[in-house]
Amino acid sequence: MDKRKNRISLLLSRFRGCIQAGAALLTNIHLPNFLKGGIYQGKGKYVCVPGLNCYSCPAASGACPIGAFQAVAGTSKFRFSYYITGFLILLGVLLGRFICGFLCPFGWLQDLLHKIPGPKLSTKKLKPLTYLKYVILLLTVVILPAAVVNEVGMGDPFFCKYICPQGVLEGAIPLSLVNTGIRSALGVLFTRKLLILMAVAVSAILFYRPFCKWICPLGAFYALMNKVSLLEIKVDEHKCVSCGKCARICKMDVDITKFPDHTECIRCGECISACPTDAVRFHYGFGTMEHKKQRKDKQNE
Amino acid sequence: MNKKISKLLTVMLAIVLALGLTACSKKEEAKNSPTGENSDIEALLSAEPENSREAAELYQKLMKKEEDVLTGNMELWEKVFLLVDKDNITVGDDNNYGSFLLKIIEDGKDKFSEAELKLLKAGAEQIKGLEEKLMALEEKYPDCTGAKGEGSSIDADSAGMSGNGSEMQGFPEFQGKDLDGNDVNSSELFSGNTVTVVNFWFTTCKPCVGELGDLDALNNDLAQKGGAVVGINAFTLDGDQDAIRAAKEILSKKGASYKNIWFASDSDAGKFTSGLYAFPTTYVVDKNGAIIGQPIVGAITAAEQAEKLNALIDQALESSK
Repeated sequence: MDKRKNRISLLLSRFRGCIQAGAALLTNIHLPNFLKGGIYQGKGKYVCVPGLNCYSCPAASGACPIGAFQAVAGTSKFRFSYYITGFLILLGVLLGRFICGFLCPFGWLQDLLHKIPGPKLSTKKLKPLTYLKYVILLLTVVILPAAVVNEVGMGDPFFCKYICPQGVLEGAIPLSLVNTGIRSALGVLFTRKLLILMAVAVSAILFYRPFCKWICPLGAFYALMNKVSLLEIKVDEHKCVSCGKCARICKMDVDITKFPDHTECIRCGECISACPTDAVRFHYGFGTMEHKKQRKDKQNE
Repeated sequence: MNKKISKLLTVMLAIVLALGLTACSKKEEAKNSPTGENSDIEALLSAEPENSREAAELYQKLMKKEEDVLTGNMELWEKVFLLVDKDNITVGDDNNYGSFLLKIIEDGKDKFSEAELKLLKAGAEQIKGLEEKLMALEEKYPDCTGAKGEGSSIDADSAGMSGNGSEMQGFPEFQGKDLDGNDVNSSELFSGNTVTVVNFWFTTCKPCVGELGDLDALNNDLAQKGGAVVGINAFTLDGDQDAIRAAKEILSKKGASYKNIWFASDSDAGKFTSGLYAFPTTYVVDKNGAIIGQPIVGAITAAEQAEKLNALIDQALESSK
């Protein structure tokens, strides 16, 4: 039984690149808009896509959850978006940071950039920086758009306006290429965010997924949801020989044997492929009898 | 478990394929349908262009239809073309390609089956009708034949944002109302002002709301020159009462007293508005209803943008004289 379950896990992690490409395409299905220079404004934009994908990308099929949340929080009528939060909790419970690993287009981009040869640096010592993304989530997405308002009660989407490199990459650059009006409207904000984008791109070559680890507010939300997500990674203690290989190859600096629901784990499944004894696998659903037994054993010890 | 994997893969593949289909479906439709569609040929035939730009557009559409009629049954038509006596071509008294084709078909009717003849004759009749319309158009608007090259897209123009061409573009006409319910129609509005600055905004757009005060000041300035600022709030289209109330509230909070208008979202101006995706966007329109230069995208509060706007206003005042 276990062996066969492990095969699904292996398949998933082996075809992760394809799934990421497919997800990026589905998230940005209106490709002809890149040439026409408009953005799709139909009903699809009433819902959010799971990953970080700018609403203003000409091809985008849905709205960005982080952008949408700020847009609602920034209006004079509302201070908090229950719809988006509920949507994110649902996705978080269903998949957790699996979304980062498999469905997010910006995560995929960083994966691809990391394949460029060059010095690869460890991020283990930079662990405190991983808490930065929670600060960014709280401040620029939740608090500032609702709190810093003009005389009619409207706030700015702080994250989109001052930080988000995905917005520059998917929105500002393609739109300004084909539209003179938008090109002439580019100002200092664009330059600043372009620098952020370039910094993220360069450091994505050196480090693995720097944006996801340190900056992404959406990743921060899903990180917390990892704790309660139905999609988990399980380590079979009977099979595990404690070789430590999984911890060594993990690019997100997680020791899956000790912390299977770690906030930083993006469920990429590399530990599953690496495990010599097939002890690691994806598990979906509530805890099984077997795991309860394991837990009991642990308590008895 | 093996079954489960294949099931999962099948479902995922099916989803990808289904979504792939939806992405292409429109184009396919467009490719397959037009040949025998009497109804849209009739629509084209009854269309009456109001200016030479529309005439040129219609001309291109008619030409396209004619081509479609022929390409729809290419093999059959090629047979017809083979029947033409190359040494002795007479297009006919009325100079109509359609009646010329009808004559050829009539002369060689024993070479086709009953069904083929019916198809060919129907096609030739369609072409005759189209040709008549084309000739009428040429007579009325002599320059409509070559105004637009092939491949120039109508969508880009109607979207309003992509007007890269240097040709003068008219602001779409509308029959609307101001936020107090008084009728406003575009031709009266534009012809009554030496220059009209049209500002597109919506209620929850912070930079849009941020420039309302400046626009009001501009309106007061322009009043001395016989011009005016007009706001179009995208939320208020179709006269949505809640949206109008919200817009009025913001306008009064910002002390903006210039005219704001709405019109039906399915009107030309409504479609023009929904084609915009950057807000605020500001157009400058002259007395004749023509858009001057490129629209200003983004708030006009920045010095650079204000300068651009003033240059456009001067240009409009000049062309309104």
